[in-house]
Amino acid sequence: MIRFVIRRILFLFPVIIGATLLVYFILDLAPGDAVFALGGDQMSEEELIALRHELGLDRPFIIRYLSYMQGLFTGDLGVSLISGRSVLETYFQRLPMTLRLAFSATMVSVLLSLPLGIYSAVRKGSIQDNIAMLFSMLGLSMPNFWFGLILIIVFSLHLGWFPSSGYTGPISLVLPAFAVGTGLTANLTRMTRSSMLDVLGQDYLRTVRAKGVSERAVVNRHALKNALIPIITIIGTQLSIALGGSILTESVFAIPGVGRLMMDSINQRDAPMILGCVVLTTILTSIILLVVDLLYAMVDPRIKSQYVRRGKTS
Amino acid sequence: MSEKVLSIENLVVHYELEAETVHAVNGISLSIGKEETLGLVGETGAGKTTAALSIMRLIQSPPGAIKSGAVVLNGRDVTGLPIRRMEAIRGKEVAMIFQDPMTSLDPVFTVGDQIAESIALHEKLSKADAMKRAEEILELVGIPRSRALEYPHQFSGGMKQRVVIAIALSCNPSLLIADEPTTALDVTIQAQVLELMKELKNKYQTAMLMITHDLGVVSEICDNVAVMYAGRIVEVGSAKDIFLHTAHPYTEGLFNSLPNINARVESLKPIPGLMPNPAELPPGCAFAPRCSYAGERCHTSKPVPRELESGHIVECLAYDDPSFQIVRRWGNG
Ligand SMILES: Nc1ncnc2c1ncn2[C@@H]1O[C@H](COP(=O)(O)OP(=O)(O)OP(=O)(O)O)[C@@H](O)[C@H]1O
Ligand SMILES: [Mg+2]
Repeated sequence: MIRFVIRRILFLFPVIIGATLLVYFILDLAPGDAVFALGGDQMSEEELIALRHELGLDRPFIIRYLSYMQGLFTGDLGVSLISGRSVLETYFQRLPMTLRLAFSATMVSVLLSLPLGIYSAVRKGSIQDNIAMLFSMLGLSMPNFWFGLILIIVFSLHLGWFPSSGYTGPISLVLPAFAVGTGLTANLTRMTRSSMLDVLGQDYLRTVRAKGVSERAVVNRHALKNALIPIITIIGTQLSIALGGSILTESVFAIPGVGRLMMDSINQRDAPMILGCVVLTTILTSIILLVVDLLYAMVDPRIKSQYVRRGKTS
Repeated sequence: MSEKVLSIENLVVHYELEAETVHAVNGISLSIGKEETLGLVGETGAGKTTAALSIMRLIQSPPGAIKSGAVVLNGRDVTGLPIRRMEAIRGKEVAMIFQDPMTSLDPVFTVGDQIAESIALHEKLSKADAMKRAEEILELVGIPRSRALEYPHQFSGGMKQRVVIAIALSCNPSLLIADEPTTALDVTIQAQVLELMKELKNKYQTAMLMITHDLGVVSEICDNVAVMYAGRIVEVGSAKDIFLHTAHPYTEGLFNSLPNINARVESLKPIPGLMPNPAELPPGCAFAPRCSYAGERCHTSKPVPRELESGHIVECLAYDDPSFQIVRRWGNG
């Protein structure tokens, strides 16, 4: 098990090298550079050259990349070309907002989808099931930011229950959480339903019923635990995506999270900041996916013994 | 009557599908006394599993439904019981072993947990005490108690079936239903598992309904035998009646389709044709289309049960002729 974790951490290195190389390459191809965000359009040609030299932008691509990587592997993510502040510090300043949004959206959808999906599966074909499936279709086909706008119009402008933008405390996260959580809820409800349906047809539940276990415990204890793997997968994937920050939702609700930071940095061609966000998001995502894999092993003993066996032979 | 553990009276069970109604069980009556073992034999699709699941009230519903009849278990009819009362009976008074051990255990719970669950439920024991009992029972079925913490995928098929048996016997039920408990196992393992069941059944004085295709299994452990065909019991009697005084042409066909060590040169005589589709049963005797003795009347009118000797009942119109005798290839004395 520990070997498995270590291997996963080692695997992170090639992923980061690949991701940074790709981003560096794209940035190099993209027109414009950071000097324009620093007021370069009002500078003379000499001043521009001097500024580029100061920022190290005049060095060849490969040298810039290698020196960035050198910094990276000694834990130095550099400073923003624009603000001059540490990339790491800026990122961690923005992260809590994105974390809050990601986790509250995930909470909302887990709390809604699991009961809904289970109920739909148990009552397959009933009116309630059909209604739930209809809503989840709607939820899936509705873009988050658009639904966010609707929420703002109804609950903030008309009813005045929640603030429409900015962050003034947890209450500011309610609407964005629902906006992000709806698509996730729809997806998760469908997955819970289909996974439960699959398990509810299994022979071993008949053995459980034959023991005299109540139908409620059959569903909630035995069937659910067996249906959990695909459900955890969806939750993990969605959570790891959400941790990158939702650019659109953060823009609609004017929430200063990682998504906004990323977008601003791209507009300003702030290479160290963009790369920093990519690297840190990659690490965070890998951690979530690792936790998901460890959860698999906790839920399903067959997967656990696989890890253990692999660990022994390798 | 009161000493019967189980008596089924005129049970009718249908599966009502959109396109058709499957007449899986069409008015069967059976009874099992204390400590008795009744074998229920018949080819695939005869309705054996459906009958067994009806006793547990575990028919998949929809589409399945008990249409009429009674299942009297330890003196009370369970067909109309509220589901809560039924849950208290399942596992406690009547337990069931299913055909395929590979799929009958929950893969994400330890075998110990799965045995203990039943005990904790019915014996009102604490989790720890239930687990202790579970370990004892595991040892009883020939598995070291240390393996209680392992999961089903760590066990072989024969071991899994032992675990299923342990679950079934954990609360000392008065009736054990075994639905082809050995068909999915290797021949050598079959014998071991059968031996174990026989031993435990005697030890706990459990009555048993043994569903099987295998007449060898029947001769091995059954006191009485019921032969089922197309949802009817066509012949029932003591094992001796059935084996030595076979009365129904279908039962005869079952024996004739067995290989015989003493007559190896003779080829097997399987029953010609197939069992009729239970959604479209013929108007007369369901076996008539395959029966070499069938007369005209057999195709138009349904036979009724007839008692040949005490306890030996056959459902066949041919016995309207008092001189009728079937010809077995061997046996019959
Ligand atoms: N859930 C169901 N829905 C519809 N039809 C069913 C269902 N279960 C069983 N049947 C039908 O009912 C009839 C009796 O099936 P059953 O399983 O009781 O037979 P069986 O005697 O146990 O056969 P086998 O020896 O193959 O186990 C068959 O025609 C079968 O197709
Ligand atoms: Mg069956």
